[in-house]
Amino acid sequence: MQILRFLPLVMKYVTRYRGRSLLTVGGVATAMFLFYSVQAMYQGVKEATHATSADTRLVVYRQDRYCPYSSNLPQDYANRIAAIEGVKTVVPVKVAVNNCRTSLDVVTFRGVPVDAVEKGAFGHVKIINGSLEDWKRRSDAALLGDRLAARRGLKVGDRVDLAGITIYIAGIIHSPEAQDQAVAYGHLDFVQRASDNKVGIVTQFNVTVAAPDQMNRVAKVIDAEFRDAAEPTATWPEKTFVARAASDIVEIVGFARWLGWACVAGVFALVFNAIVLSVQDRVRDHAIMQTLGYSESLIAKLIIGESLVLSLSGALIGLVAAAVVTSWANFSFSVEGLSIHVRATVGSVGVGLALSLLTGIIAGLVPAWQASRHDIAACFRAA
Amino acid sequence: MALIECRKLTRSYQKGSTTITPLNGLDLDIEEGSFTALMGPSGSGKTTLLNLVAGIDSPTSGTLTVGGVQLDRLSHAQLAHWRADNVGYIFQLYNLIPVLTAYENVELPLLLHELTATERHRKVAAALELVGIADRHDHYPRQLSGGQEQRVAIARAIVSDPKIIVADEPTGDLDRAAAAEILTLLRAINHDLGRTLIMVTHDPKTTKYAQRTLHLDKGKLLEVEPAREPSSAVHR
Repeated sequence: MQILRFLPLVMKYVTRYRGRSLLTVGGVATAMFLFYSVQAMYQGVKEATHATSADTRLVVYRQDRYCPYSSNLPQDYANRIAAIEGVKTVVPVKVAVNNCRTSLDVVTFRGVPVDAVEKGAFGHVKIINGSLEDWKRRSDAALLGDRLAARRGLKVGDRVDLAGITIYIAGIIHSPEAQDQAVAYGHLDFVQRASDNKVGIVTQFNVTVAAPDQMNRVAKVIDAEFRDAAEPTATWPEKTFVARAASDIVEIVGFARWLGWACVAGVFALVFNAIVLSVQDRVRDHAIMQTLGYSESLIAKLIIGESLVLSLSGALIGLVAAAVVTSWANFSFSVEGLSIHVRATVGSVGVGLALSLLTGIIAGLVPAWQASRHDIAACFRAA
Repeated sequence: MALIECRKLTRSYQKGSTTITPLNGLDLDIEEGSFTALMGPSGSGKTTLLNLVAGIDSPTSGTLTVGGVQLDRLSHAQLAHWRADNVGYIFQLYNLIPVLTAYENVELPLLLHELTATERHRKVAAALELVGIADRHDHYPRQLSGGQEQRVAIARAIVSDPKIIVADEPTGDLDRAAAAEILTLLRAINHDLGRTLIMVTHDPKTTKYAQRTLHLDKGKLLEVEPAREPSSAVHR
């Protein structure tokens, strides 16, 4: 790698044109911070709404209702749902939120029966701190999703008031399911009494089916079962349910992705502008270097190298800063008690770096080509 | 056999609708190890000849052979490679890279050669020592006087041991004392290191440092003063 011998020279050019480099790197870092943030939002939407062939979870909601406050289903529907062929577990859930609107800091309570754990409805959930026994023993106990605990700085043993409900934190849980990560699981009757005092009424039923290919059939059978009931139901796969309920957020994030790509275009424009101006300022320097024996292609490579250093260093700063902020803050968009997490991933950092690499090369190509085509003698005549 | 052989060497270029021919059918030989001064009025073709010999410009017609290599047949990339190995160029306005220190400016040509960092350091230190500017190695060009800048430029020109050193009015921007020091240095490089030196100058007094003076006018060689021992008189 002969070109690596010239890396210190490239770095000297970058660091000694300090003002230009700082402005360019700062601009690239800001743009890539925004790009990563949008990517992280999109990642959260994808995780919460994109169905997979392995999904087995259904949500049974009150037909034509869209908010936990208006979805009221009799708790005894659980027995009839459990009797349907293909249903593995049924968990009646009372949802209570501090805010029905879209927010970055909604606290969602889910009241579930104490025996739901024994029935296998939480097989995918892992208690990472605290104890299940403690949770079972105390009626005001709650198991907190790890993102909610991190966002609010809560730990096992704390007694706090969340959304007007005072709870004791018995454990912190981690789940691969997005909807478990930013909620507080309390005892069903406790949440029923503490929220609207409607004992025997739940918001929804979380149903697990025996096999993924039974999802649609079971959903239809459930809705048919309650078609003529006073409170008819509407049943969806969980991720479809989230996509439908959070459609506003999904659309906004979809639009924001365009802004993310605009940030990439901004990176290109910034680096291109910096390199074009730099090459114009350094026509004489390049002519001197050519006089010393630097070939046209080597000059071009040095310019592309400079473009790459500016682009990649800015991107690295912006992406790492965004990843740290996203991981630290544990942002979640919540609407109607459902959560879409702003998800920091190494993959998004990789995509951002790859795009910066590409834009750095492309932004350097034209100025490099122009610089390498200058006639040396003419450059000195012009000077 | 001469180190540099020019045969019917012509260079012309377009400036708007006008064709300018600064060098027209020049025949010239320059011996290895000589110190040649090129004189003539502005536009006489001195710098054009210098640029052709240095391989930074190519003739429109005719042949130019340097050290057995016919330069007019080389591609741009081959010429660049040839320059790195064979030519050191000293400019009137020094032309140091402003964001590099004296040391880094002198090191610049060596990056093109397969040398270790230690070898590069040894060569740069020796070149700076030779031109008497070692104590200013970490200074940027803006922190140096004109004479000091030109010393750095000379160090840069000799650091890779080129066969030929070309100097385009190397004292044109200096006061008399600094000019005398630079010319003495150039003569020492020619005499002590055996480098072939070609220098463009407007000042007849500077020619006394050279062994031979060529007079050019309108792209033609007018007069060749015979080779002589350069004067040891101090330039005043």
